[in-house]
Amino acid sequence: MNIGTRKILDRSFTAVGIGSIIVMAFALMVVVVPIVSNGIGAVFFTGTVEHRKMLRNEFQRGNVEHLASGVASSERYRARVYEILGTFEAELERMEPEKKRAYTSKYSQTRTALQALLGPLPGDRAPMLTRFKYGQTRWEKAGEKLHDLLYESKWDNSNAEIMGKEYFVSRATAFEGTSLAPLFPYIKGNIEKMLLPEFTVYWGFITDSSVDSHFFGGIWPEIQGTFFLAMGAMLFAFPLGVIAAVYFTEYARPGFLNSMLRSANSTLAGVPSIVFGMFGLAFFINTLKVSESKSVLAGSLTLAIMILPTIIRAAEEAILAVPKTYREASLSLGSTKWNTIATVILPAALPGILTGGVISLGRAAGETAPIIFTAAVSVGSAIGLADVLSSPTPALSWNIYNLASEHEAAAQIRHVQYGMVLALVTIVLLLNLSAIVLRARISKKLKA
Amino acid sequence: MAEESTGKSGRSNAFVVSARQRMFQKIAKTAGEGLLFAMASFVAVIVLFIFFFVARDAIPFFQLRGFTEFFTSSNWYPADEPGQFGALAIIYGSLMVTIGSALIAVPMGVAAAICLSDILPFSVRQYAKPVIEMLAAIPSVAFGFFALVVLAPLMQNSGGPMLMWAWWILVSPFLLLAVIVGSDLLTTSIPDEKRRHQAYLLFLALFGLIAVAFLFMVGSLLNGLQIITGTNALNVSIILSFMALPTIVSVSEDALQAVGRDIREGSYALGATRAETIIKTILPAASSGILAAVILGIMRALGETMVVWMASGNSSHIPEPWFNYLEAIRTLTATIAGDMGEADQVTGSARFHVLFAMGLLLLLLSFISNFVSERIVIRQRRILSGQ
Repeated sequence: MNIGTRKILDRSFTAVGIGSIIVMAFALMVVVVPIVSNGIGAVFFTGTVEHRKMLRNEFQRGNVEHLASGVASSERYRARVYEILGTFEAELERMEPEKKRAYTSKYSQTRTALQALLGPLPGDRAPMLTRFKYGQTRWEKAGEKLHDLLYESKWDNSNAEIMGKEYFVSRATAFEGTSLAPLFPYIKGNIEKMLLPEFTVYWGFITDSSVDSHFFGGIWPEIQGTFFLAMGAMLFAFPLGVIAAVYFTEYARPGFLNSMLRSANSTLAGVPSIVFGMFGLAFFINTLKVSESKSVLAGSLTLAIMILPTIIRAAEEAILAVPKTYREASLSLGSTKWNTIATVILPAALPGILTGGVISLGRAAGETAPIIFTAAVSVGSAIGLADVLSSPTPALSWNIYNLASEHEAAAQIRHVQYGMVLALVTIVLLLNLSAIVLRARISKKLKA
Repeated sequence: MAEESTGKSGRSNAFVVSARQRMFQKIAKTAGEGLLFAMASFVAVIVLFIFFFVARDAIPFFQLRGFTEFFTSSNWYPADEPGQFGALAIIYGSLMVTIGSALIAVPMGVAAAICLSDILPFSVRQYAKPVIEMLAAIPSVAFGFFALVVLAPLMQNSGGPMLMWAWWILVSPFLLLAVIVGSDLLTTSIPDEKRRHQAYLLFLALFGLIAVAFLFMVGSLLNGLQIITGTNALNVSIILSFMALPTIVSVSEDALQAVGRDIREGSYALGATRAETIIKTILPAASSGILAAVILGIMRALGETMVVWMASGNSSHIPEPWFNYLEAIRTLTATIAGDMGEADQVTGSARFHVLFAMGLLLLLLSFISNFVSERIVIRQRRILSGQ
C-alpha cells in the first residue's frame, strides 16, 4: 500500500472512532430533547378557563374572583353558541323526515365535537366521568378540537393499492343553508374569548394526585410510589451489599469457594430484569407470602436483589481504593482488624460506596420489569407509609408504560406521559450526575 | 489478609492477655467472620433460589406439553381451549432484535471504545465517559416511550427517506474508503511507478462509478420503501442498540486498556500508523475481552423488556421473508410481561407455566453467556500478564 492510502486509512479510522462517539452523544440528545421539551409542557402551558374551573372544583385552588370573572366573560360569548344550537334544534324538528335523518347524525357529531371543546352544553345530563365535565383545559389541545369541530375527517379508500388517505370536509358547507351554518365562523372567530387562554404554571402536576385516571391532576402518587420502592430496595440491599463487599475484600481467601461466590455475583448481575419479576412473584409472593398479592414490600425486595451486585461491586472498588498505608498505620497502632475496618477503612471508602449506592438507587427507581408482577398497579391514590407492607402502589416507570400503551385515551394525555417520563428521567439523571460529581471529587482528593 | 489481628486489645492491661480472654476473642472472631461469610454468600443463595423457583414453575409446563411444540411450532394461542404454546416465532423474535441491535451496537461500540482508550486526549475523554454513563442510566421505560411515541410514528410516516439518509450518511464514507484501498491494493504489484499511478487512477474512477451507482440504486430503493407499521423489529433494534452500547463500550475499553503500553510502542517503533497499530496489534490482543463485552451487551438486549414490549408490535409470527426487520415481532420478555397478568389467576395451568419456561430459557441463556464471558476475561488477563 502506498503511504498516501495508509495516511487516509489512519485518518478515517480516527474519524470513525470520533464519529461513533458523536453518534452516541447525538442518540442521547435525540432521546432526551423531545422528552424534556414536551415534558416541560406538563407544568408550563397555556391553560384555558376550563383548566381554572377544573382546579377550583377538583382541588379547591385558584383565585375565585378571577375565575368568576373569566367564567362570566366566557359565558357571554358562549351564549350565542347555545342560541344558535337552540334555533337549529327547533329547525330540525320542523324538517321533513328524510332531511331530518340526514342532519340528525351530522348534528350529533357536531355536538360531540363542541362538547369536547367547551364542556357540557346546556341541557346535557351531568356526565359521569370527570373528563367530560370540562372542555379543553389546554390551549394547544383546544386547537386540535377546534379543527375536529370545523372539519369532518374522512378516509379515501378508493385506491386499494395504497393505504387509505385522510381528508377533511368542512362542516360549515355540510350545514350550508341551515341555521347552524353561522356557528362555525362564530366559534372560529371567538374561540379565544370563549376559552380565555392564559399562560399557566401548574406545579400541581408534581404534587397533586390524578383525577379520572390522569386526565387531570398530577403524578404525586407515582412519584411517591417510586420513592418508596427505591428506598425500600436500598434499605435491604445497601447494608447487605456493603457487608458482603467487606467480606470479599478483607476476609475472603482465594480459593474455589470464593471464586464461586464471585461467579454468583456476576451471574446475578446478568439476570434479565423480567426474570427478577418472575422470581419475586414465585418466591416472595407465592412462596414466602410476604403479602397477599402485590405490595411495596415484595417489590422492594425484588428490586433489592436486582441492585445488590452493583452495590457490592462499587463498595468493593471503593474499599480497594483506600490506600494500604491507612490500613497499616491503623494496625500498627494496635487496633484490631475489625476496628480498622470500622473506623478507618469504611469511613475512607464511604464516598465511593455512596456513589455506588446512588447509582443503584437510580436504577431501582427506573426499572419497570421487576415490579410489574410484584408491586405496581396502574391506578390508585398515594399510599401511606403504614400501607407499604400490604398494598401495591402506582410507580412512575410502570405508569409511563401503562398510560402510553394501555390507557384507553393514550393519545389525548400525551402531555401527562411526557411529564411523567421527564420526572423519572430527571430523578435518575440527577442521581447519576451527583454520583459523577461525587466520584470526580474523590479522585481529586485521592490524587492530592 | 492472614496476619494475626487477635490479641493485644485488652484495655485494662494491654500486654497481659489471659487464656479466657484469648479464647473469647477467638470465638468472637470466628463467629464474626462466619456472619460476614453468611452475608456474602447470600448472593449465591439468591442465585440458587432464582434458578430453583423459576425452574419449579417451568418444569410443569414441559411435563404437560413436552418440548417439541414449544421449540418447533409457531402457533401461539395460549388463550384457546386447548391452548397452543408454540414459541418458535417468539424465540425467533428475540433472536432477531438481539442480532439487529448487535449489528448496530457492536461496530459502533468497539469503535467508540478504541477512540476512548487510544485516540482521544484525556481532557475529551473526561467528558465522553459521563455521556456514556448517562446513556446507561436512562430507564428502559423512557427508551420504550421514545420508541413508541416518537420513533414509531416517524418511521411509519417517513421511514423510507429516513432509511435512505441513514444509508447515505453511514455507508458512503466506507464505500469511498473501500474504493481507495481496493484500487491501491490491486495496483501494488505493478513495478513501474508511472504505470502504477495511471492504473490506480483508472481503478479509482471505475470503482468510484460502480460505488456511486450502487449507492444511488440502494438509496432510491430505500426511499420508496413503505413501512406498514412503525412498531417493528428495526425500531426496537435501534433503541436496544443504544441500551447495549454503554456496556459494550465500557467493557471493551477495559479490555483495550489492559493491553500494555509496550505492545503499542513496539508497533509504533516498527513504523505502523495508529490505525495499523490498533487493528493489527491491539485489537487481536484485546479480542477476547472485546468478545466478552459483546456477549454482555447482547445479553442486555436479549433480556430487555420494556422497549420490546412497547415498541415491537407484539405480533407472534416469523416475518416474511425471514430477515424483514420492518415487520412487527414479539419477544420472550415481552410475552412474559404481557401475559402474566392474564395467566396468574389460573396458577397451575400450562398458560402460567409456559411463561416460566420462557423465563428459564432466558435465565439459562444469560447464565451461559455470563459464564463464557467471565472465563474469556480471566483467560485474557492470564495471557496478558504473561503467565
